[in-house]
Formats: sequence, C-alpha cells, structure tokens
Amino acid sequence: MNELLTLTGLGLFSMIAEIFNFRKAIFPVIVLGLLGLLGLCYMDWGSYNSTVTHFSMMKVDNFSIAFTSVLTATALFWFMMSRSFFEDQTSMSDHFSLVLFALTGAFCLTSFTNITMLFLGVEVLSLPVYVLTGSRKRDVASNEASFKYFLMGSFASAVFLFGTAFIYGATGSFNLENIATYLSTQPQLSPLFLVGLLLMLSAMAFKVGAAPFHFWTPDVYEGAPTIVTAFMSTIVKTAAVAAFFRLFYLSFSGIHGEYADIIWAMAALTMVVGNVIAAAQNNVKRILAYSSVGHAGFMLITILVMNDFAAKSLLYYTAAYSAAGIAAFLVLYLVGSANNGETPLNAFDGLVKRNPIMAGTMTMALLSMAGIPPLAGFFAKYFIFVSAVENGYIGLVVIAILSSLVGVYYYFKIIIAMFFGKPDNLPTYFLTPIHRFLLLFVAAIIVLTGLFPDFVMGLMTI
Amino acid sequence: MEQLVKFIPLFPLIGFAIIGLANRRLSKGVTGVLATGSVLASFAIAVIIFMNRLGGDGQAVTVTLFDWITAGNFSAKFSFLVDNLSTMFLLVITGVGTLIHLYSIGYMHDDDGFRRFMSYLNLFIFFMLLLVLGDNYLVMFIGWEGVGLCSYLLIGFWFKNIDYSSAAKKAFVMNRIGDLGLLLGVLLIFTATGSVTYDSVFAQAANITIPVVTTATILLFIGAMGKSAQIPLYTWLPDAMAGPTPVSALIHAATMVTAGVYMVARSSVLYMMAPISMDFVAWTGVITALFAASIGFAQTDIKKVLAYSTVSQLGFMFAALGVGAFTAGVFHVVTHAFFKALLFLGAGSVIHAMHHEQDIRNMGGLAKKLPITHATFLLGFLAIIGFPFFSGFYSKDEIIIQALAHKPIIGYLLIFGALMTAFYMSRLYFLTFMGKFRGTEEQQHHLHESPLSMTVPLMVLAVLSVAGGYLLQGYMEHNLTLGAAVTASTEIEEHTLHGLHNVMWGVTAAAIVMAVIAYVLYVVKGQRPSSDADMKGLEKTIYNKYYVDELYESLITKPLNSISSFLSNWIDINVIDRLVNGTGGGINALSGQLRLTQSGNTGFYIVAMVLGMALLVAITVFM
Repeated sequence: MNELLTLTGLGLFSMIAEIFNFRKAIFPVIVLGLLGLLGLCYMDWGSYNSTVTHFSMMKVDNFSIAFTSVLTATALFWFMMSRSFFEDQTSMSDHFSLVLFALTGAFCLTSFTNITMLFLGVEVLSLPVYVLTGSRKRDVASNEASFKYFLMGSFASAVFLFGTAFIYGATGSFNLENIATYLSTQPQLSPLFLVGLLLMLSAMAFKVGAAPFHFWTPDVYEGAPTIVTAFMSTIVKTAAVAAFFRLFYLSFSGIHGEYADIIWAMAALTMVVGNVIAAAQNNVKRILAYSSVGHAGFMLITILVMNDFAAKSLLYYTAAYSAAGIAAFLVLYLVGSANNGETPLNAFDGLVKRNPIMAGTMTMALLSMAGIPPLAGFFAKYFIFVSAVENGYIGLVVIAILSSLVGVYYYFKIIIAMFFGKPDNLPTYFLTPIHRFLLLFVAAIIVLTGLFPDFVMGLMTI
Repeated sequence: MEQLVKFIPLFPLIGFAIIGLANRRLSKGVTGVLATGSVLASFAIAVIIFMNRLGGDGQAVTVTLFDWITAGNFSAKFSFLVDNLSTMFLLVITGVGTLIHLYSIGYMHDDDGFRRFMSYLNLFIFFMLLLVLGDNYLVMFIGWEGVGLCSYLLIGFWFKNIDYSSAAKKAFVMNRIGDLGLLLGVLLIFTATGSVTYDSVFAQAANITIPVVTTATILLFIGAMGKSAQIPLYTWLPDAMAGPTPVSALIHAATMVTAGVYMVARSSVLYMMAPISMDFVAWTGVITALFAASIGFAQTDIKKVLAYSTVSQLGFMFAALGVGAFTAGVFHVVTHAFFKALLFLGAGSVIHAMHHEQDIRNMGGLAKKLPITHATFLLGFLAIIGFPFFSGFYSKDEIIIQALAHKPIIGYLLIFGALMTAFYMSRLYFLTFMGKFRGTEEQQHHLHESPLSMTVPLMVLAVLSVAGGYLLQGYMEHNLTLGAAVTASTEIEEHTLHGLHNVMWGVTAAAIVMAVIAYVLYVVKGQRPSSDADMKGLEKTIYNKYYVDELYESLITKPLNSISSFLSNWIDINVIDRLVNGTGGGINALSGQLRLTQSGNTGFYIVAMVLGMALLVAITVFM
C-alpha cells in the first residue's frame, strides 16, 4: 500500500513540477523515488500478514510485493534508458507522469482482491499507454498504432465488463474470496458463471497478448515508439500476466478442470503462432514483437499449472524476460535512432565492430530469450517446464520446447547479423555514460540471475 | 568458528580475479606476494579451524552460503561441510599449496607467463577447496570439473609446444571419460535417494537396493579412475609432466589426483554397502600399484619416474580404500602429499640447475653441487620407501597391515609393490645424486643451488616428510572414523594386528635391502640405463610403457576416428543436414502463410477475437 501511495505522489510531483517549470529536477527525483520504492518493498517483504485487506479491495502479500519489486526495478531501468528520448520531446513531464500513473495501475494489478480493483488497474495502466503509443504526434504509424490499440483495448474492456456482469449475476459479488467460496459451495456451476468466466479469460488473454487475441500486439509494438514498446513488452506484460495469474489463483482455482483445456490450447497456440511467425520477419522490432507473443505463451503455462511453484516460476520468468527486454529494446532504440527510426535486420550488420558493448549485451539478451544456459532465460523456461511436467502436461512441454527451438532460429538471425555482417556505411555509436552503465548492468543481471535463480524465486513465498 | 570456512575458498578466488584481471599492470613481485599470500591466508584460517576443532567435540558442521537451486523436488544448497575429513584436506591443500606457490615465485620467475601461471594456480586452489568442502555431490562436481580445467590449462601452460598441448588435451579427454562415470553415479544416487546432499544420501543409504548401490559406487569410482589416474585411465598422468614442475607437484602429486581418494572416502558409507565395488576398488588399486611401479623401473626422465611412482602410490591408496581401511588411505594421501611434493620440487630444483635437462642418464653426482636439494630429496626418498619412522613408514605400513588382515592376497601384492617402490626410487636417487656427473661440460659449469624461495619450501616439506607420519598417526586413528559402522563388525583381534606389525618390520628391512641392491648396482658397479638405441627386449618394452598408449591408439582412437569420419561424411550430409534444412524450410513456409493473418486490418482483428470467444464458449458448452 505504501508503495502505491508513494508512486502516486511521485506521479503528482512530476506533473506539478512541469507546471512550475522544475523540469531539471524531475528525472533525478523519479530515479530516487523508484530506488526508495525498492527500499519500501524490501522492508515490507515478509512482514505483511496476508489476511490484511484494504476495504476488501487490495491485499498486500508476498506475491504482490515480489511482482511490485520486479516492476519497480524494471521501471527504474526503463527511465534510465528513456531519458534522452523524453528530453528530445517538448514536454517531458506529461510523459513522465503518464508513465508513473501507468505504473500505479500495474501495482494495482499485482495486489487486487476485488474485480473492481482489477478493472481499475487494467484501465489505469492501459489509458496512459494508449497515449504514449501515439506520442510521436507527426508519425502516421504511431498514430495508427495508438488508435488501433485504443479501439481493440476498449473492445477488450467491454468484454471484460460483460464477463464481470455475468459473474456478478451468478455470485452476487465482486470480491474474489467470496467468488471462491461460492464456487466451493456450488455443486453445479451455472452456465451464467461459465460464460462470464470465459469472457474474462478472453479479456485477460487480450491483455497479455495470447492467441487468438494477440492480433493487436505486433502492429502496436511496431507502430509505437521503440521506448514505449519496451515499456509495453516489459512492464505492461509483467503486470498483465501477474493479474491473470492472481485472478485465477485467488478465485477460479477451485474449478480448474473447467478451463484447463482452454488455457492449454491457448498456450500451445500462442507459443506456436508467436514463434513461427517471428521466423519469417526481417525487421528486428517486429521479430521482438512476435517473440513477445511467444513468451506470453510460455507464461500462460504457469496459469495452467497454478500452484506455488508455478507462481515462483512466473515471477522468475517475468524478471528474466524484463531484463532481456530492457537490454534488447535499448539496443534496438539506439540502432533505430541512428537509422531514421528504421530497424531492418541489416541495420545490425557488424554491430560488434561498431560497438562491442551494444552487440555484447544484445547477444546476451537474445541468448537469454532463446533460453541458452546458463543465462536467466534458460532457467526461466526450465522451471516452467519442470512445473508443467510434474503436473502431467508433457504434451504441452513438447510443443513449448519445439517452439523455443524455432525461437533459437530467429534470435540467431540477429546475432549472426551482428557478428558476421559487413558493417559498410553504417554508423558507429557513442554511448552516453548512463546507457553504457545500463547495458553492462543488465547484462550482469542476466548472467547472475541465471547463476543464482533462488535470489529471485525466493522472493515469492505465497 | 567453523563459519570462517566461507573465507577459505574466497581468498584464492580474489587472488585469481585480481591477478587475472590486472595482469601486466602488476609487477612480478606483487603478483607473487598476492598469489602466495591469498593461499597463506586460507591456510591460516584452516589452521584456526583445525585447532578449534581439536579442542571441540569434533562434530561435523554445515555452513550454508546460499540456496542455490530449488526446482520441483530438487534442491541444492551451496553449503560447505566442515568435518575432520574435509579439515584434513583443507590443511594439506592450503599448506602444501602455499609452499608450492612460494616455490613457483622462484621457479617461474623468468617465464613470460608468470602472472598467468600464478592466477591459474590460485584458481586451482579455489576449485580444489570447493571439491573437498562441498556438502553435496553437486558442489563437489563443480570443484571436480574446475580442477580438471585448471589441470588442462596448466599442463598446456607452454601451449606453443604442440606436444605439451596434446598432453593437455589427452588429460582433458581421459578425465572426461571418468567424469561421465562420476556424473552418472551422482544422477543414480539422486534418483535412488532424491537428494545429492551427503547427509541425507547416507541417511537413506539403507533403503537403496544393493545392485543400485553397487552400480552407483562403481560409476563414482570410474570418475575416481580418471581423476586419480588408475588403470585403464592412467596414461594421461605421465604425459601431464609436460606442465611446469610446480604444477606436477601441486596438482599431479599432492592434491588433485587424490580427489578420487577423497570422493571414495567421503562416500565410504555407500562403498561399505557394496562388497563387489570394494573388491573392484581394491583390485584396480593393487594392479595399478604394481603395473605403474614396474614401468618406473625403466624410465629415464626424472619427472616420469616420479609420475609413475605417483600412479603407483595412488594405487596403494585405493587398495587401502578397497579393503575398508579408509582412514589408512586418507593418511597415505596426507603423507604422500608431503613427500611427493618434496620429491617433485626437488626434481624441479635439479632441472632448474641443469638448465631444463630431465634425463637421469645425463645427471649423477649432484649431491655436492646442490647440497640443500640433495639433503631434502634424500629425506623425501627415505619417506617414500618407508624407512623406519619417516612419514611413509606409518601410512604404508597401516595400509599393508589392514590389507593383510582383511584381504591377504591384496596385502601380499602390496608388499611386493612396496619392495618395487624401494628399488626404483633408489635407482632414481642414486643415478641423480651419486656417482660421477654425466652431463655436458657447460651444464657442469653452470650447476648452482636454487634460490631461497625454492629451497625454503623444500626444507619445510622435508621436515613434514620426516615427522608428518609420526605426528598425525594418533590423530588419524582417533578422529577419522570413516565407514566405521561396518568396520566394527569385522574388528580384528588385537594380537593378530600385533603379529602383523612384526611382519612389517621384516618388510621394512627387505625394502632397505632393495635400496642397498640399487646402491650396489648403480653406484658401486656404476651401471647406467642404456641409451634409447641400445634398449632391447623387456627393458625396451617397459621403457615404452608396455606400449599401452599405442594399444589405446589402435583399439580405441582409430576405430572411433573411422566411425566419426563415416558419420560426418555420409550420415551428416545425407541424413542430418536434409532433415534439418527440411524442417527449417517447412517452418519458413508455414511462417509465410501464418503471417498473412496479420493483415493490419482492425476490423478483421476484432472479428477474429469474437470468433475466438465464440469458439471458447462453444468448446466449453458442447464438449
């Protein structure tokens, strides 16, 4: 709760600072504020009695603190990476406060105990992101992506509300605990409830970008400014998938059998579609967009397994994926900004000769996403597969492994371009100190969380 | 106090990191002090822990650094186990390690790769400490692989010489064969007990069936065969002498090659359950002991003689383990570390003085020119042949007595091995230090005693070689209770042991007679080994190590090479490549089709979503 209040305060501060023209102070204050938030998470961890709820709307437990920490750390990296982007634009506080408010939505998504709060979180997170997607006002692609995202997002919100209405109709409550109690006392499920559940499931699948509700993802990711894409594929994705998990864990896990097959099919389809389509792409931004669809498929497996170890694996997966995502999108952004915003595969040719730090970190990030040991991404996949195998989903793990093999192919296309391509007539890059630090630091995180997975997994003790 | 153990592996790791990263920015002096100092600091802590435990109750203590991996029902902690066995190894590794680091400062001083060398040595110490400290098979395995890596790097230290780098590769490959056995053994133990931590494995040992425990222990022992150079995986160790002499002393005599002994002793609970494995260990040990000793008779390279002697002594240790005398085996590890390190460093001092001459046919009479080297070498030599009251006397006697009591045939064969040792070591000693100098004029002119940094370690090791056995005898007997649960039932009557002690005096006397025979042959009669061209018959066969390398070459390497060339030239191109390229092409084609769904048309997307939802509802309701 303290985290949420602090963050809201930070958002208000950066909005007001803009009005009173304290722009120079905004960035340092945000960085310090986020570091302070991490400190708060550290202090709160384990000390919360998980029965304390805030007006039956939110419950701060280790699940929420663990995800809040990952989100905060990712946001910190994201601000460090995007400083120069915002300083190019005219009014940075608009963006900064938008992002901070989006982040408050993300925080709500990790700690809600009531469908109302879930809906609020989704909207508070989504609305600023619609705006951010369109933040390059003169760019048609950016505008198109923003509009498309908004249109489809509104549609998904409507579906979500529709589903909520059905569930309320069946159970008479928005409270997740009451819904779970209702389910455990009901010998026969009413069709009303079932339809509501399916509609909510569809809406959540839309938010995490799972097939067949993934169509917005590649278009929006590609159209949005790269920095915003980074925000979407790390923070938004983490918050959405955590919310998905929390919703089903807290209220629907009692009727797991009713929807298990659907999630199974959805996960399989998402992994296959995301990874297979990515194989044919020649634009790195689009490759990463499809790959993020594929990763959503891997994360869905944890919702299928739905136990404590799955929660740990999901936390670890999001942390590993966010770290790799920040690194990959930062390099993508740097390459793109020297190339009129275009990021075809051949813009990466011979990057290792032009800037070894960028190429090195990008390689680590891609290898981690591909799941090459001993990097974090390998263990992330490994833990999810272990939990799935232990619960008997062997067929799904086979599909998952095959699709990650396809993943290796397109990740290596980029790596091969960076190491063996001829860098003729391509610019060399000079990194700002903050970017250099960030690249090296994230690379270290990718290695270290891989070597010592328990430091992340241990955060989560439900 | 045991908590301090965390720092023991830390210092050498820091030393490695600083020297490895700073490299040329550090002067050679600073590098030497840093490398030696880091191991010395670890040694100091090891001594503190040892003294503290001596006064305490001697219970094993587990020190956990952090939870390493937890996945499903598998969990491994990065923890250290401090008990009397690991403390003993700690003392030997850091103690002998410090001396050899000090020696290396003098020995390697003029080498271009001095800093690289010192950093590798520190890294080696780090991994060796992990190996003996881990409280589970997984941490031990990291150490096990790490020392293998360092051994490879250091054997091929002068990598510009093709022969040396092939020797390094050979060591690496042979160790891999063993490591596979070890890994399978650990996996089997894990599937049988659900754990890799020593405590819980041994606690559940009674629930494992005998065939499984036998297989597991034999697999583990295959790992030991590779690392500790037992038949048939021993051929890498003599070749490993390509590395600088301090490496031979530290890694290929005192510490790494005894890792197998440590591992078997650590798993003594499992071995005691599997009599077949015990016999296997004992017979492998004794056959290796005799076989390697016989090769020692005809070698002319001073380091090769010592290398075969090491293989042979390792055989003694395994024979001890195999008859259930785990304590005696570990005792011999310790005394052997003292005197074999001393002998190797002495040999290094000789090689240093002779300007990289290693052939004993060109030595002789060095006693006068190299007084300190000679005196210390003599003490080491007396220790290895088991001269009364020297360190080897206690440990070797203990091994042979235990063998005679438990498996007499092994005992008799070991006595024979001890006599062979006495002879070929005497031959080495007399040919090197006695008689007339046989080298070139120029070598004779340049003969000089080594600097202090090299002779001080020699002197310290000489003291340990003389007194180490006597000092540690009581400690070993009372504080190392390995495999005790089972030995108690086969306790030997006191008077039988007493009788066996008397037999040992006879054996010792016989060993001294062997030394005298060697004296007569090589000093009084002035015999010297034939030159390569003059060798005939048995001598030539032995000189060429029974052609075992050639045998392996034609039995294993050549058939493997032809199979792999078939696989690579035909199977790979016509089957694998087509399969792989076909799959890739298929995926690409599929991808090309699938991407068409991504039309960019928002209306289509929303229709797809609605259809998707309808499908979900339909599936749930109708199925």
